[in-house]
Amino acid sequence: MTGRTLKTTWYYILLSLASGDRHGLAVAREVLALSDGQVRLWPAMLYGALENLSDRGWIEEVIDSRRRPDESERKRYYRITRAGRAAAAAETTRLASLVRVARARVKPRAGETS
Amino acid sequence: MTAGHASHAEATRARQLYRALLRLGPRSLRLRHGEEMADLFLDALAGARSHGPAAVGRVWSAAVWDLLRASIARTFTRRHPRLPQPVHERRLLMLGTDLKYTLRSLARQKLSTALVVVMLTLGIAANVVVFGLVNGLFLRPFPFPEPDRLVYINETAPRWNLEVVGVNFPDFVQWRQGAKLFEHIALYDGESFNLSDGTGAERIEGALVTHDFAAVLGVRPLLGRTFTPEEDRPKAEHVVVINESVWRDRFGRTPDVLGRTLKLNGVAHTIVGVIPEAIRFPGNVKVWVPLAGDPAQDYQSYGASGLGRLKAGVDAEDAEKDLLRAHQPIWDARDKDHTVSPYARPLREDLARDFRTQARTLLGAVAILLVVACANVASVMLARALARRREMGIRLAVGASRTRLARQLFVENVVLATLGGAAGLALGHWALRVLITTAGDQIPSWANFDFDLRVGAFALVVTAATTVLFGWAPALHAIRGNLKGAMHEAGTGTTAGPGGRRTLSWLVAAEFAMAALLLVASGLLFRAYERVKHVDAGFRPDHVLTFMVALPEASYGGDDDAVAGKQVNAFWDRLTARFATLPGVDAVGLVSCPPLGCHWGNFFAPEGRAPLKPGEANPVVLQRPASAGYFKAMGVRLLKGRFLEEQDATGDRHVAVVNETFAKTFWPGVNDPVGKRFKNAGNPKAPWITVVGLAGDVKHYGLERPMRPGMYFPLTVGRFNTMTVAIRTAADPGAFTATARATLRELDPELPMFRVRTMEEALRRSMAQRATYSWLLGIFSCMALVLALGGSYGVTSYLVSQRTREIGIRVALGARSADIVRAVLRRGLVSVGAGVAVGIAASFGVVRLLADLLFGVSPNDPAILAAATALLFVLALVANWLPARRAARVDPMRSLRTN
Repeated sequence: MTGRTLKTTWYYILLSLASGDRHGLAVAREVLALSDGQVRLWPAMLYGALENLSDRGWIEEVIDSRRRPDESERKRYYRITRAGRAAAAAETTRLASLVRVARARVKPRAGETS
Repeated sequence: MTAGHASHAEATRARQLYRALLRLGPRSLRLRHGEEMADLFLDALAGARSHGPAAVGRVWSAAVWDLLRASIARTFTRRHPRLPQPVHERRLLMLGTDLKYTLRSLARQKLSTALVVVMLTLGIAANVVVFGLVNGLFLRPFPFPEPDRLVYINETAPRWNLEVVGVNFPDFVQWRQGAKLFEHIALYDGESFNLSDGTGAERIEGALVTHDFAAVLGVRPLLGRTFTPEEDRPKAEHVVVINESVWRDRFGRTPDVLGRTLKLNGVAHTIVGVIPEAIRFPGNVKVWVPLAGDPAQDYQSYGASGLGRLKAGVDAEDAEKDLLRAHQPIWDARDKDHTVSPYARPLREDLARDFRTQARTLLGAVAILLVVACANVASVMLARALARRREMGIRLAVGASRTRLARQLFVENVVLATLGGAAGLALGHWALRVLITTAGDQIPSWANFDFDLRVGAFALVVTAATTVLFGWAPALHAIRGNLKGAMHEAGTGTTAGPGGRRTLSWLVAAEFAMAALLLVASGLLFRAYERVKHVDAGFRPDHVLTFMVALPEASYGGDDDAVAGKQVNAFWDRLTARFATLPGVDAVGLVSCPPLGCHWGNFFAPEGRAPLKPGEANPVVLQRPASAGYFKAMGVRLLKGRFLEEQDATGDRHVAVVNETFAKTFWPGVNDPVGKRFKNAGNPKAPWITVVGLAGDVKHYGLERPMRPGMYFPLTVGRFNTMTVAIRTAADPGAFTATARATLRELDPELPMFRVRTMEEALRRSMAQRATYSWLLGIFSCMALVLALGGSYGVTSYLVSQRTREIGIRVALGARSADIVRAVLRRGLVSVGAGVAVGIAASFGVVRLLADLLFGVSPNDPAILAAATALLFVLALVANWLPARRAARVDPMRSLRTN
């Protein structure tokens, strides 16, 4: 995927982590909120993507500092890396320029705007 | 969220269910993130609860789909840390590495690699041979422009018991005038000529053709022109068009060949054109002479063949209707019963008609053979892959992906298949050449079997197909195999997984099923061949030499039939007398058409027969002028009366010897037809002919064909310039040829001797086609048998070698060697038995397709079925017993120690 379009889900995950470290469930909730309920991350999709992103070095696991003693299983928290921010930024630039082009070329006509 | 509404128990149940469903998803995700995934799912589920049961259902199905999709995606992507290079670069690199690995591993396992390549080579070669035949006979276009528009035209007369009568010239003239859908219609008749040029005599194949024959074929002469309509008339000047080969061999390609002459049958013909070498249609035709038919002449015989070029877009069926319409005036004028009617067929269909069933049979056989070879290769490869599980396991463990391993196996398969394909193509091409050369004149001369793109493409497709056929089993096992298991199994030396073993047994069973099918089919064909060989030919083929002599009309009597008849018969008498005095000659005779030779038919009516009713059968009679000595020379049997004698030649009384079928057809129920009379049915003024003898039927048209009514009459009643000389010799008839040739030259140096063959040779040639396809199928089924046995042996050996430890333990625990042998044999023979049973059962249905070739042998001949079954079992027993015995000799101590 290097140099190409970033998967939408990945982009949302990176964005959700940009504002702070989160665990999986929190990422999913954040993405749902960020996308106005449009993007729901299902479990395999989310955790698959998280593995992929950490394979690429765009996010990393952080040891949970707020781990409560009664929690039976450790929750994994994820943090965005420098490379991850760069990837997200690159995608933002790409999308922005795309939107600019689209705005310049396709003028919404009356009756077609929703 | 609204999770609070759901009862705690309900949530627990949902969690349990989802955890179970997690097994649908990738294993690594489940192990690492199972709890968190369940949390996320429950979160979504809780959100959906408030929207009603439909929303809950959607969440469940979305979750299931999510897991499945992840699993599918996992199969195709690597799950191990990626290398840092960009993907495409890496792929290229890895293909190179794959190739290197492959060559290295193939080189390491020389024996099994060689085995695999040889098996593929044989399978592909057999396919190339048969496809080469099919290509030459059915697919390769004729060397004429737009060959699809050519139709073969002939006439049929079922009432005369003649499927093909030959075309009658006046009929043809009528068609040429009346038919609308043809661009051109031409007539041709194969004819051979005595070609003499002062130094000696030669017989050359040629054709009598109407002037537009070249236009039908679409042939342009290299030099000069083809015939004009004026040249294609009776009593026109003698002209000839020669083939390029004649131009080259006799005239050294001199450009001033036009206007020179060629002496055919003693008459000088002026050369007007040269046609390209490739145009030898219909046979090995080297000269064209105008047919010069005379439409006005009465009672013309049937015998020529027609060829038409259709207008664009017309098919053969329409063309036939057009011909029938054009034929109407003939029916109205002289054939009110519609006895003879024309037909048209696509040229290819007519020429290749006799080869259809055989070609299909052989194609089926080689396809099966290839599948057997592939099954065998698959089992070798699978055994190899199973043996390499440890290697694979290690490679998986250090980070190779399954795709990568599968790809390496694939590259290995492609390399093997390419080697096999190339060698198979070369071997097949060579074998085809050998076959064509040995089959000689059984191969029709219009067919061309040179290598072409179609054969190349076929070999490529077959090679690709084999890659898939033999590659699937090992590849599947490599992908499915699990890492830990592979390491573990290979490490401890226990047997391959049950999946691998089962696949191996299936492959062996499939091989035996197909080998059984082929064995039954070839057994039936050989039985049919034996049966044909033992048909009573009706003559004694041993010690008979035959050859033809044609007396040119120009030098033997000219146009006056009466004068010429005397002169011709005087020569035949001289020839008979001269040959009879030669040492080593037991008998000499002359006949127009020897057995397995030509056909000359006529119609006869017995005395007292009522006029034929419309539609009543009027079978054609094979009539043969023969000399008195012929019967003894050919060894024809006399049943009643006498044969023809010298005196019959001079008497005014017309006599004949008839055959059994003649007597049965015209005087049914009469035991002794001697003294009965019959006459030519077409000519009211014809004399009565008295039967003086009854001869046994001779299989004139071939051992597999029924005999027609036949009669012999003295050759002295007419003028027969072309006769076959039959000589019964004391010693080897073939060795007599030189003497015969010298003697003929002594009688007339301008006469060539042609169609020289012993009757044994003629019989052999008449069966050559059957012999060829029976032997081919026999060879293919033997190859399949050997492959199946090899497969069974190899698989059992492999399984035994994998079970050495287990066997060692059993021996240590007191199993006797007989027990071990029995156990191994049982396992091997169960798959063989299943395969043979399926194959024999399948043969019941499949061999029915062979019915046309079986010559009355029952497709379910119990002896053949039993023999095939017994043969397969006995050989399979041996093939399995060898590894079983080896297993029984396992030394328990050593087997336990080595692993």
